[in-house]
Amino acid sequence: MRSLTVNGKNGDSPAKVALAIGAGSTARGRVCPVYVGTCGYSYTEWVDSGFYPAGTKSMEMLGLYGRCFSVVELNYTWYQMARADALARMVEKAPAHLLFAAKLTRTMTHERADNWREQLQMYRQGIAPLQKRLVAVLIQLPPDFDRSIANRTYLAALLDGLHDVPVAVEFRHCSWAADPVFAELERRQVTLVTVDAPSLPGFFPALDVVTNPALFYVRFHGRNKAGWQSGNMQKKFNYDYSDQELCAWCDQYLSPMAAKADRGILVFNNHVRAQAPKNGRRLAAILADLRPRES
Amino acid sequence: MAQGFTLRERAVLHFNVADFAVAVERVADSSLRRRPLIIAPLQAARAVVYDMSEEAYGEGVRKGMALRQATRLCRGAALLAPRVTLYDKAMRAFVKELQGYSPLIECGRADGHFFVDVTGTHRLYGPAPDVGWRVRRQARTSLGINPIWTLGTSKLVAKVASRLVKPVGEYIVTAGDEERFLAPLPVHLLPGLSAQELLKLQEFRLTTIGALAQLNRHQLMVPFGRRCEYLHAASHGVDDSRVCTPEGKAEGIDYEHVFAGDINDQDLVEGVVAALAGRAGFQLRMQRQVTRRVGIWLRYSDGALVVRQASCKAGTSEDILLRELALTALQCAWTRRVRIRSCRLVCDRLQRQSPQLSLFAEPDLRQFRQKKVSGAVDILRSRFGHGVIGVGLQYPLASSVDDSAGFPVH
Repeated sequence: MRSLTVNGKNGDSPAKVALAIGAGSTARGRVCPVYVGTCGYSYTEWVDSGFYPAGTKSMEMLGLYGRCFSVVELNYTWYQMARADALARMVEKAPAHLLFAAKLTRTMTHERADNWREQLQMYRQGIAPLQKRLVAVLIQLPPDFDRSIANRTYLAALLDGLHDVPVAVEFRHCSWAADPVFAELERRQVTLVTVDAPSLPGFFPALDVVTNPALFYVRFHGRNKAGWQSGNMQKKFNYDYSDQELCAWCDQYLSPMAAKADRGILVFNNHVRAQAPKNGRRLAAILADLRPRES
Repeated sequence: MAQGFTLRERAVLHFNVADFAVAVERVADSSLRRRPLIIAPLQAARAVVYDMSEEAYGEGVRKGMALRQATRLCRGAALLAPRVTLYDKAMRAFVKELQGYSPLIECGRADGHFFVDVTGTHRLYGPAPDVGWRVRRQARTSLGINPIWTLGTSKLVAKVASRLVKPVGEYIVTAGDEERFLAPLPVHLLPGLSAQELLKLQEFRLTTIGALAQLNRHQLMVPFGRRCEYLHAASHGVDDSRVCTPEGKAEGIDYEHVFAGDINDQDLVEGVVAALAGRAGFQLRMQRQVTRRVGIWLRYSDGALVVRQASCKAGTSEDILLRELALTALQCAWTRRVRIRSCRLVCDRLQRQSPQLSLFAEPDLRQFRQKKVSGAVDILRSRFGHGVIGVGLQYPLASSVDDSAGFPVH
């Protein structure tokens, strides 16, 4: 990796790596903390696969998760509207260092409801207990959400409604990979999510574009091309990144993004058979073991 | 528990199609979507509401309300007669969707309620919330209905959650969070409480489930007797009841007769009940089972349903005794001066016939002869159909009937 050094291992929380940006000296350069985590933490399968000890109950998972990672993406808020009471109970039990990203509910992305403005208000109230620990609200848009005028108008209205919270947008349709889009996101200080996914026609490409200097956000979905097209979630996210793939990714994308942002989060979505936490920990280790290399 | 086994946290999904009959009618006729809808028997003089749409509910219409009152409250509502067979068909279609995810499915009778146990299916189908969402999406696309889905560690928790989000929505109750989830909720959301129990809870100012949970079993025993166990467990979110498939339930033998027209002819009704008892007796004997309780479900022409039961300790599969029990239950159920639309006979509390033969000769010669006759009649019926022979009292039901679905009338 070029112009990138690691400032200490793990620091104050697990899987948080301080990357030093500059010519190999932290004193002269800037530090970009990178937080590693997974998309969701409550998977029974992770007990079967050995990430959680045998017999771990759902309520104990977040505490155990926090021993390994510094950020978690809450994906159940996609399935159901965020509820303040439930989130408050969750935050209460979470380790103090753990940061949260929360997915926007599907009624505002994939199954847009007529009353989406009301839903947005409900959502904002629902995530209120996360307070300062919220790194971003993740707007994951469906593959058929193309860059039409109607969709652009909708997205603009949605971003307006979330103007005072940190927001990251993940596009799945390639039509959004355009400079005016990046410029607008930059103007709004909204993070463009970088995706690592199978290369499929029409899919939004992997880019190292940073639109928000406060945060870059990377989601690793796995590269299971056949599984992605199967419609079965267990096949879609069944992928195990090799060390070579992770190193190559860091070389190609992490360095330029870390150079342009104050902090970043890297989350793994390949949850099947606990490959996400396995790869997450491996990536954190790779980053921590990095030594500056001259360009 | 055997060494090497660990108890998994259960994952029970509950699907609830609000106003199921209305939802099905609206799929059948999309023009009904634009106006309030009341479903009730239309020809009966004192019909009561079978189901109503959310709009009609908003106007004050309730299930079981007199139709006249309901139409006064919601004047613009469309009126439809209930089509139970259509609702049954829709139930079966929904079950078919669910079968793609779990074999453990429990459903009600044409009411749009389903429980699905998805414990341990995550390796095949992914996390339980995703299954809930997918089923709902499939139901919307293929059946045109939009069910509520909720997820809990038991049927009780999932059921309470569904009551919170009715008529549309979803709710995931995290495992281990049951008690805290239930605590602030009003006590009437707990399923299975009778009106009297609710009244008593109100008298004690136990308005929330959390307040109820603070009392121990002994304290609850005084006002609620044996129900203290259920109340204590439910208020703590504990429910070990299994999700029972219709086959797994094996709780009863069920026959129904719908009269061609509403009637109040006592001989005819008793004849039908006797015929249903004969059918049930035949099935019991074939299964080598006995029943200890016979129930009669009378549906009146105004939609009201009355259920009464009669039981015998020893259990029986003999036609004569079954008929006596059924007629006793009928007598208790038939108390209104309203015509009868249908009659259902349910034999439950089944147990296996004792294979033990009597050590001595049959003490009652009459009973012995009746058994022999029953045996001969059963042989004839199994060869030539049920209608080939019967006792004089029985109303001659159609011979080519689908027993599971009920009988058409001659």
